Order: sequence, then C-alpha cells, then structure tokens
Amino acid sequence: MSPTRFASEHKWIYYGAIIVLLGLVVAGLVRYKAITTNNKAVSKANQLADAAVEAGLPRPDTELIASVLGTDGGLVCDDPASALKSALWKINVSNGAAFVGQRPVIGDGRALRAEATIIEIYCPDKLDKIQDRLDDLKTDDTVRR
Amino acid sequence: MSSMDMPADAPRQSARATSATVPAAPRLTWLTLALMTTASVASLRAAPTMAVYGLACVFLYLVPAIVFLLPTALVSAELASGWNGGVYRWVSEGLSKPLGFLAVWCQFAMTIFYYPSLLAFVASTIAYIIDPALASSGLYTAIVIVVLYWTGVWVSSRGTKALAGLSSWGLVIGTLVPGTLLVVLGMVFLAQGNPSAAPMTASHLFPAWTGLASLVLIVNNFLSYSGMEMNAVHVSSLKDPAKEYPKSMFLAMGLVLLIFILPALAISWVVPADQTSLTAGVMQAFDAFFSYFDIGWMTPIAAVMLISASLAGMLTWLAGPSKGLLEISRSEGYLPPYLQQLNRFGIQQNILVTQGIVTTVIALGYAFIPNVSNVYWIFSTITTQVYLIVYLLMFVAAVKLRKNQPDHPRGYRVPALTLVCVVGFLASAAAMVIGFVPPSQFGSNSVLLYVVIIGCGLGALGLLIPWAFLKFRKPSWQLEAAREEEGA
Repeated sequence: MSPTRFASEHKWIYYGAIIVLLGLVVAGLVRYKAITTNNKAVSKANQLADAAVEAGLPRPDTELIASVLGTDGGLVCDDPASALKSALWKINVSNGAAFVGQRPVIGDGRALRAEATIIEIYCPDKLDKIQDRLDDLKTDDTVRR
Repeated sequence: MSSMDMPADAPRQSARATSATVPAAPRLTWLTLALMTTASVASLRAAPTMAVYGLACVFLYLVPAIVFLLPTALVSAELASGWNGGVYRWVSEGLSKPLGFLAVWCQFAMTIFYYPSLLAFVASTIAYIIDPALASSGLYTAIVIVVLYWTGVWVSSRGTKALAGLSSWGLVIGTLVPGTLLVVLGMVFLAQGNPSAAPMTASHLFPAWTGLASLVLIVNNFLSYSGMEMNAVHVSSLKDPAKEYPKSMFLAMGLVLLIFILPALAISWVVPADQTSLTAGVMQAFDAFFSYFDIGWMTPIAAVMLISASLAGMLTWLAGPSKGLLEISRSEGYLPPYLQQLNRFGIQQNILVTQGIVTTVIALGYAFIPNVSNVYWIFSTITTQVYLIVYLLMFVAAVKLRKNQPDHPRGYRVPALTLVCVVGFLASAAAMVIGFVPPSQFGSNSVLLYVVIIGCGLGALGLLIPWAFLKFRKPSWQLEAAREEEGA
C-alpha cells in the first residue's frame, strides 16, 4: 500500500474506524450463539433433505442443515415477509455484481422456491405471508442440475 | 517522468489547477490505486448469489471478463496513461465537451440511487450482528443509511489521502483476508474427501440454457465489472501516471477476477444451493460455510469484514465521479458556482452534500413508507442503464482519439484498439438492450409498462437532467481562471 496509510495526518480517522469495527466484532461474538443440534433439529434437517431430493436436487448434508437452521429456521424464519426484508430480497435476485453494476435478473425457480420449502418445514405459519410474493415471480431454470 | 511520458497538455493542466486554487493532488502509489479500483468493483457480497450456479459461475464471470472487463480495463489504461482527469476528459477530447459532461454526469448520477441500496444491505448486516430483529425496522435502516452516508461524506471531505487509506485497508480486511479464508477452507473441504455440494463436471461449466432468462443472466453479468475506469480520475495523484496507471489497472483486473470467482466456487463446494435463502441473505451462506468447520463464531467476524468492504467501496464511489463532475464543471461552467466550491482539502464538498440530501430523502422512504422500498430494485436497473451511456461514449472516444491524436503520448497502447472498442461497445449496447427485459421481480406485469418505466428513468436521469444543465447554464458559472485560460 502507500504512504496514505497510518503515516498520514488522518490517523484518528483510521483509529475511529478500527474502534467501531472492533466494537461490532465484540458485539457479534458476544451475541453469537452456536445453534445446538438436537434430535428435533436433525429431524427437521432430514425433512428438508428429503424435500431437496424430491425436487431433484442432491441430498444435502443434514448435519450442516441442522447446525444452521436449528429447530426454528434461524434467520430464514425471522420475519421473512416484512416490507424491508422483501425489499432486500428483491434486490438480491440479481447478477454477480458487488457494487454499482448490481441489477435484477430472471432468477432460478427452484433456488427461489428453496426458501419456501425451508419456511414450510420450520415455520409453516409464516408461509402464506411469502407465498404471494413467490407466486408473483417470473422465474426459469437457469441453474444446471 | 520523462518528457515522452508527459501528456502534451499537462503543463496547461497544472496551470489551470493552480489558477483555480485547487490544492495539489496528494500522492498515491500505483498499488493503492489498484486496491481502490478493486474495492470499488469487487467484494464477497455477490459470492453466495453466484455460488448457486456452481461451476457455471466461472463461465458467468469469465465471458463478461473477456467481452467487457478486458475492453474497459485496457481502454481506460490507454486513455488514463495519456490524459489526466478520467472519463470526462477522454470523452471531451475525443468527442465534445458537452458529451464529456454527459459521460461524467451519468457516472455520478447513477450512484445517487445506488448508495441507499448498498447501505440498506450494510444496515441488515449490522442488524445480523447486534440484533436480527432490527433488520425489519425501517427507522433503524434509515438511521444507519443516513449516519453512514454522511460519515462517508465527512471522511471524503478530508481529502483523497484519507479515503485512499481507508478503502485500501477496507479491501484487504473486508475482502482479501476473508476471501482467502473461504478458498483455503473450501480446498480443505475437498481435500478431506468430501464430495462437492455442486456438481463439478465439465458439463456443469456452462449454465443451463433456457433462452431469454439465460441470456439475461449472462449479459447482465457484464455489469459485474462496472467501475473499473472510475478511479482514473485520481491518475494525476500517481508519480508517473503513464507507466503506473496501466500497471495498477492490470493488478486490479487480476484481483477482481480472483475475488469474484474463487470464493463463489468455494461456497458452492460446501453449501448446497437449496440451502441458501435470499431473505436471510449473504450471512446465512457464510454461517453454513463456517458451521461445517465448527467455526460458526467466524460468521459475525465475516459480517464485520463485509461491512468494512462495502463501506470501502462506497468511499471510492463518493470520491471518484463527483471529482470528475467538478473538474469539467469548473473548466466549462456546467454547474452553478455553489456546486463548484471546494473545501480547504480541495474536495467538492457541496456536490457531495447535495447528493447526500437526495440519499437522505430515499433513506427516509425506508423509515416512513417501507412498502415503497419494494420497488427500489427498479432503481438499480435504471442506474445501470445510465452507467452504460458512459461506456458507450468511452469506447467511441477511444477510437476517435487514436485516429485524431495518434501522436499524443500514451504510456500504454492497446493492441488492436478498434477491435477491442467494438467488442466493448457491443457488449455495453447488449447490456443496455437486455436491461429492458423484465426480471423476476416484475412478475406478470406488462412488458410494455416495464420498458416505459426503464426508458423514462433512463431518459430523465441520463439525458434530460444533463441537457437541462447545459441548456440553462450561465456564462457567469465559468470560473475566472478557466475564462482567462480560454482567452489565452
């Protein structure tokens, strides 16, 4: 890198940024709770794996599913139908750009449906709230399986 | 710098800078500029989205690299090694000054709508770290967008040096380190004898062909490399722009390719495509990845890294296009004097503040009318359409400059420039045409309605507003220094 680094008169801006980011790291580590895998989590993971096979996908690793989705679906079931999450979700059905080139595409039907399958198994009471959103999408099979 | 390397009109430029009381540009190394360029184009944010395509993500990034990244990078390397100032200067010299203004306006205007969506993503990632329930709060999202944007403006207003350091470090901490970790862990996963979650056979190198949807996916991916030329506006900060800028561009090109392809591939090895949820977003994919290795606690750290990379990218975008807009406006009087004012660090503070007011209004939409945020995705299509105008102009200008000013000193010359420009122009034109195809989000609504919305947005933002600036500008808007120079 360059003389622009810490040798500049902007040290305190760098220090401020470091402190804020470290604060977030500490907050994240304190709040992070590894999902405890139990029989119920494994059973739900098996249901999801079966659904994947039925949909023509390779059977995913159930241990991995259990450790991410636990018994309650984790982040997926956390208010999936809220206006804001819906807005972010729509922005994420996009191309491979990380910054200004991000643009919506015609998403893969089965990949987008995967979320509904997770919700159906882990938090079925929230399924109807996102069903309309999924039904309204124009999709295609763009992922080779 | 040897006299041969010095652009013929460089002394004129420096005279202009002095007389307009612009502080001397701070020095940047070519490595810093390469990192800034990479930070403004690539991050890991897109990796989980592309991991869904498995091995085909290599194809989806390589084809656009050949037809769009390569022409963009090579052409901007030649132009920046011969002319200071970035895209406005290239188009001004090659085509005309009003078109130069149009080019830099389009580069600038598209970012106005981009910041709210980028910062909304950052807000949701911060929420993941401190309290996921916050992600559903419009007020929280609006506050984060406003606070981060104005902090970015404040940092940018401290000068190029401050943001060059932050954006370079943001790239290293937020993208290069976690990206390397993902790739190494992915290789460990395969080395342990685990089968890849996504099939890795030769037939899976190509995405499924379903006609229009596949074409939309492939062509829209050209835009993944948007912004490679943007940091050329800082070329005068290099010690020897003619030699150093091309070097910086080639390094950035390599880094961008590696950052886009390898982490996406690594995620596709470990995380099954059917287990990623777009609502839970990027963090869920990272959580699944790290959980496999029993280092789930890395997920919040990765989240902080992603935040730093996103903010680093935002800083480069705050500083680049607005600087180009300022420079042509100061010399030609295209913007009102208020927007031409500089702060004591030589930064276009008033342009950034004006842009910030629009960003704040959009952010307030998240807080008070969250349902409206559901259509914000349309902005991303309109803004990318507007950005493509820049590329169309740039490729035409490059050919014209080679024809009209063949002896102008350039530190680097693109072999077969016309062919390269034709490929880049056609790729940009194809991306613009494909931009009128309704995506998933538009559902079963009328295609004509979509075309009208995108066409009107493109016309208003990319043509009508810059035309109005040119039409209604006043002679008094041109700085005294620039007028004197014209007279001389």
